[in-house]
Amino acid sequence: MRVGIPEKWDTEYDVVVVGWGSAGTAAAVTAHDQGAKVLILEKMADGGGNTRICGGNIIIPKGKEFIEYLDILSFQTTEREIIEIFVEEAMKNGEWIREMGGEVQVFTPLEVAYPTMIAGAGFPNVRGAETVVKYNIKGTLEEGKPSQRLWKFLSGLVAKRKIKVLTSTPAKELISSPGGEITGVIAESEGKTISIKARQAVILTCGGYENDPRMKWDYLPVKPAMFLGTPGNTGDGIRMVQKIGGDIWHMTRLSCLIGFQAPGFEAAFWVSFLSEGFIFVDKYGRRFVNEAGIEIHEYYRELSHFDVEKMEFPRVPLWAIFDEPTRRRGPLSRGTAGYNRDLYNWSLDNSAEIAKGWILQGKTAAELAGKVSVDPRILEETIARYNQYCRAGKDEDFGRAREDLRDLKPPLYAIQLWPALINTQGGPRRDKESRVLDPEGKPIPRLYAAGELGSIWGYLYQGACNIGEGLVFGRIAGKNAAAEKPRS
Amino acid sequence: MIEASRDRVWRLIGKVIFSSLSNMENVEILDENNFRAILRMKVLGLPVNMKLKGEMVDISPPDSFSVKLLIKGLGGWFQADQKVTFAMTPVEQGKTALACKATVENIGLLPRLLLLGEARRFARSTFEAIEKRLQELA
Repeated sequence: MRVGIPEKWDTEYDVVVVGWGSAGTAAAVTAHDQGAKVLILEKMADGGGNTRICGGNIIIPKGKEFIEYLDILSFQTTEREIIEIFVEEAMKNGEWIREMGGEVQVFTPLEVAYPTMIAGAGFPNVRGAETVVKYNIKGTLEEGKPSQRLWKFLSGLVAKRKIKVLTSTPAKELISSPGGEITGVIAESEGKTISIKARQAVILTCGGYENDPRMKWDYLPVKPAMFLGTPGNTGDGIRMVQKIGGDIWHMTRLSCLIGFQAPGFEAAFWVSFLSEGFIFVDKYGRRFVNEAGIEIHEYYRELSHFDVEKMEFPRVPLWAIFDEPTRRRGPLSRGTAGYNRDLYNWSLDNSAEIAKGWILQGKTAAELAGKVSVDPRILEETIARYNQYCRAGKDEDFGRAREDLRDLKPPLYAIQLWPALINTQGGPRRDKESRVLDPEGKPIPRLYAAGELGSIWGYLYQGACNIGEGLVFGRIAGKNAAAEKPRS
Repeated sequence: MIEASRDRVWRLIGKVIFSSLSNMENVEILDENNFRAILRMKVLGLPVNMKLKGEMVDISPPDSFSVKLLIKGLGGWFQADQKVTFAMTPVEQGKTALACKATVENIGLLPRLLLLGEARRFARSTFEAIEKRLQELA
């Protein structure tokens, strides 16, 4: 932490926003429209963070019963008054987008993959689930995938206002006055350290810690966890807040799918199946879950089982075993979301990935078992048992639905999968005004946060709420920051 | 007629359509409403690969939706726009009537004469497979 005013500031603005995704945009635009001179600092060469490569959906609930739903999902990890303000403001997300010149359309997906993003609630049996409605920025595929349209719209708002953005400029430290007020930011740009004065406030919107191995090992319930999103999220905002004595919350929370970690790639590939001919087995070749019934953001719950006898996570990594029709049906890694989306074209019949050795094949279950270092007898037994359930139309072990059952016939294939983070949820604790709090619950003067950095999702996560939350608390942070009395 | 509620039929139908088209391969999900694929068919007894581009439109859960299909093949000689609409109507407690209507547009005269019958047979057999699978799962 740096205390005190530098002898000379390199530059000064009213509001400094650290991190340029959906929350950073909402914060910057709102502060700007309230009359503040705003600077955005972005660590990466381009803005967008996870916003640009996510599913692109935005929650706009259709009723206040959504408060009840989220309150239950939060399992008392987030104060109800924060959830209330979130829902009230999230109901206005569509209105805000329209005011800003955009349009939204209801998200009505083709639910054909395992797993897939669904239209409705992730937890349909919870009270208030019927209020979940997801939207995305209106447009056609020719205008981009939903997240590309979202980022085009959001970045356009910043460009239109000529808000200054410094890319490749990571913030390193917060500067505070002897009285504890945040006065500015130290950042790095082109190899130089620059001090930036914030006359009114600093807003942190720089994401979580998906690409910080140490934090992940310390906090997450499943180890190791790969990531699917931006490599730029390395917990910078968390460390900056800890250095100035801020409190943190929700650090063990995550949105987590499964992914394949290919050699030479920073991020993992999101893997899904376009046909029901697949199962998951642990390191020892045994099934452990209804593979078709896992909520898309909650895979870690099934993978975090720890075996205290063997002192290991037996399901990390796991193997997906699949059949020939599934191999031919379509690419295991979809092009709709994830950092690798624009970096690699997965072959349509998975043949290129077989050739690379990413996908292993066996003429029989026993041959495949040898390739994945599993006892052949166990894998054969697992598949025989599963096939028996398929023929009977009932999965006696894990209750996989009849429509999701198809027996597995050789040749068979295997791909190694890891827990793969969409994002982490932890970071600075904040209140309903987006103010960052200290361990006693007092706001740290002139410091705000929004988005995935210390999100309000403290237990279960409802899809489309990260973008929705970024927009809501970004707007709140921007409005409050711009209302702070400027320091001379 | 499917012995299941309309909501259940709605939840099943996307995956059932996909699984019923066992000759559809190399499916590429472009976004949540668009896909491309290869359809392996037999035309006049000969195996051919058709390029298929599909878009889900007019989605009105849990009542109906349509799939707009653009089918190309035979070295560009065959091209057709097809719209397939599925409608689900509750008829009595726990039962749902499933209707499917397919229309073909923008198809040349010769391909129409030669292939329309084939396409109709294919559409009918696919719909029967979808209905059969839904009945099994009901």
